[in-house]
Amino acid sequence: MAEITRLLQAAGPDAAVAAEELLPLVYEELRRHAARRMARERPGQTLQPTALVHEAWLRLFAPGDRPWRNRAHFFAAAAEAMRRILIEHARRKARRRHGGDCVRVDGEALDRLAAPADEKALLIEDALQRLERRDPEKGRVVLLKFYGGYSNSEVAECLGVAERTVERHWAFAKAWLFREIESRG
Amino acid sequence: MDTLGLTEEELFAAARAVAPGDERRRFLDRTCLGEPALRAGVEALLAAADRAERFFAEGGAELEGLKAEVPGLRTIPEAPGTRIGRYRLIEQLGEGGCGAVFLAEQEEPVKRPVALKIIRLGMETRSVIARFEVERQALAMMDHPNIARVFDAGATELGLPYFVMELVRGTRITDYCDRNGLGVRERLELFVHVCHAIQHAHQKGVIHRDIKPSNIIVELHDGAPVPKVIDFGIAKATTAPLLNGASTTAHAQLIGTPTYMSPEQVELDRIDIDTRSDIYSLGVLLYELLTGFTPFDPGRLAECGFDELRRVLREEEPPRPSARIAGPPGDVLARAAERRRTEPDRLLALLRGDLDWIVMKSLEKDRRRRYETANGLAMDIQRHLNFEPVIARPPSWLYQFQKLVRRNRVVFAAGGAVAAALVIDMGTSTWLFLREREARQRAHAAEIQQARLREEAELRERITQAALLVNREQFADADELLRGVTFAAPTVEGAAVLRSLGEWHALHGRHREACERFERLLQTDELDGWDVATLDALRLGPELIAAGETVRYTRFRQGLIARYARTPSLGTDRVLKISLLVPLDETTARGLAPIADLTKRQIAESDHNQDSFVSAWRSLSVCLWEFRSGNAPAAIEWGRRCLAYPDFNAPRMAAAHAVVALALKQLGRHDEAARDHGKARELVAGRLRGRMDRGTPVQGFWFDWALAQLLFQEASATIEPAGG
Repeated sequence: MAEITRLLQAAGPDAAVAAEELLPLVYEELRRHAARRMARERPGQTLQPTALVHEAWLRLFAPGDRPWRNRAHFFAAAAEAMRRILIEHARRKARRRHGGDCVRVDGEALDRLAAPADEKALLIEDALQRLERRDPEKGRVVLLKFYGGYSNSEVAECLGVAERTVERHWAFAKAWLFREIESRG
Repeated sequence: MDTLGLTEEELFAAARAVAPGDERRRFLDRTCLGEPALRAGVEALLAAADRAERFFAEGGAELEGLKAEVPGLRTIPEAPGTRIGRYRLIEQLGEGGCGAVFLAEQEEPVKRPVALKIIRLGMETRSVIARFEVERQALAMMDHPNIARVFDAGATELGLPYFVMELVRGTRITDYCDRNGLGVRERLELFVHVCHAIQHAHQKGVIHRDIKPSNIIVELHDGAPVPKVIDFGIAKATTAPLLNGASTTAHAQLIGTPTYMSPEQVELDRIDIDTRSDIYSLGVLLYELLTGFTPFDPGRLAECGFDELRRVLREEEPPRPSARIAGPPGDVLARAAERRRTEPDRLLALLRGDLDWIVMKSLEKDRRRRYETANGLAMDIQRHLNFEPVIARPPSWLYQFQKLVRRNRVVFAAGGAVAAALVIDMGTSTWLFLREREARQRAHAAEIQQARLREEAELRERITQAALLVNREQFADADELLRGVTFAAPTVEGAAVLRSLGEWHALHGRHREACERFERLLQTDELDGWDVATLDALRLGPELIAAGETVRYTRFRQGLIARYARTPSLGTDRVLKISLLVPLDETTARGLAPIADLTKRQIAESDHNQDSFVSAWRSLSVCLWEFRSGNAPAAIEWGRRCLAYPDFNAPRMAAAHAVVALALKQLGRHDEAARDHGKARELVAGRLRGRMDRGTPVQGFWFDWALAQLLFQEASATIEPAGG
């Protein structure tokens, strides 16, 4: 834990970068923490382990040490960190699979929707970047839902909007992204 | 617009709340009036929405997989040696879309190897375990050599649900069959074991819900293949109940392959899943074992979107197994035959008929038309393996007509709209009156419907139990269970049970009881069109005579003639034969004449097709007809013709000799009559020496013997009068 604290202090104000470096380090530790908490939890509560991990993160550090402006900020930064780590990993895998850094267009371009394992996430990521440019609010919903794995109510709380709005944005964004992916295939 | 088209977005949100289909189309008609481009955009989004759900669900599953690969983000502790509860992981055995399976060692109370499956669907662990707990007792009661036991469930330290099962090491059933070049018969025999396992579970109140090749593993025990059904209770535990229509969970759960799912499993209100859903999945498995293909292309089902998936499973009729491999390209058939160690033509011949219908019956869209139980399916396959007639058969015209109505519901609905317009013309008060009455009728109909559903459920249970008892040869118990029960809806399995019970009574000489069961059987047949009735009539006819019920026999005979006089069918010669057990009166003779002519024409056909088995039986019917009509020379000629066909069938030959003897006697040719009578006696005596059982088409069924016996007795009474 000492190493984590050091990294956090060194990270300074650039929270997203810090999260990216930190998350892999502390994830395992946090999930254990979360699991212990879940075991004590009263029935009726339905927090997902991932959400609990992030909650645990918040509790791990005393308010003074916390580099995050607030809970919402942390949620978004954690999801963003997760996104970068996973997409980077997926791209490396895809490059290996497609033979070096060359992008092969034959055949594959014809049927993108039947993309090989691990490449649906990459298609979604590309389309998400386009969505973020056109409609940042929906982009944030997708980030929190898809990469963060949060429930609608958590996202609502995080963005300060009604749960209903989150549900609507998420449904529309998925259809829009899918149409986008399809039309570029 | 600075963001995405706002109106399009709003319309999309609103249209999503409207049920898909006509209602949604009408909604868009109203809201997009005069704006075709907007409408096209919204429709494209709506069409994308369904497939988007799946795409995102799969993308999400991918992310989970990626997490597992990034050190530090791993959500499954894969390292051997990791302890989960009282189990220690030893090695990973496999990995699927929704989880991973490990070889693990249980440490207490007994040390034993187990399979431990960790689910990572992103589902809420506590409710998965809660749903598992509900079934736990039922699961514990299952004890069957072809079922892998499920011992335990829990949550890993990281909060993922896991299941602990009996360790099964082997090959999935389809791979096992292909790699070992199993023939059709061997495949069927393996499959029957699977049916018995499923039946056992159903009787303990457990529905599998996810029967597919990867859940049926073939293990070798001393070199003999033993199929084991795994994952019982897991599909149910990991299926969240749907509360508010199409929520995202509905799609997330379809991450697995929908290839083996029954139509009702992809309906939105999937609360109403019963054991017959497993029958459907068994049908898909059987289809695959026989042909190497599933009824619908898995790739198509996986990509087509939820609404389309539902439409396909609900409406599209898959090709029959034989048609599936007979179709182009040509090498499909050759390959399928090679894997089954047989010739292409032989494989086609094997599948056509019984096996086609058995499979199609299991795959019926309407579950009421499937086999009632897994046992029913197994018994039909067993009948096929024993060369006995099967229950499954081509759909009757009535059924096909109903399907036509179902497919054309839109047209029928349009007819309804015209009627509604007329009603409005009649004036508002009439309309209100009609509407009120309709509401009352609808409420009443709903009540009746519910009561019927309850009754049906109870009846099905009884039928299943009776079928099981019959299968164990506990006939008396089965008979008691169905005493006085009549069926209001077609039930092939119920019919099969009544048939067995009637035969059981008949073979024990309890003719009155046999008649009663067979009469109920024929009533049940009638509910379902008349395809099987002629075969069952062969059972009832001789029993009525044996029971001395001549008045009932006459009524029965008149009923048959009335139905069959004009329509040629496979059963035409049976009707003729079974109506001639006693001498003819004039009316009956007139009624039967056209049936006799039909039979003669059919003999020309079956001769042409070189189907001597069928020709011989038909000739016997005509022989008997000529004799009863007072045309002895023709009777002798037909009788000799019947006997000249090459295949040996003792009861048919005994019957032919008996009728020929009677005809000869009539012509005063006593010596010849005695010779034919003697031959009939030899054949009948041979039967009496053997075991009295149901028989097969080759040795002759008991009801064929019943006919022979009656005719032989008649001949004996004429040729050797009492004391002679």
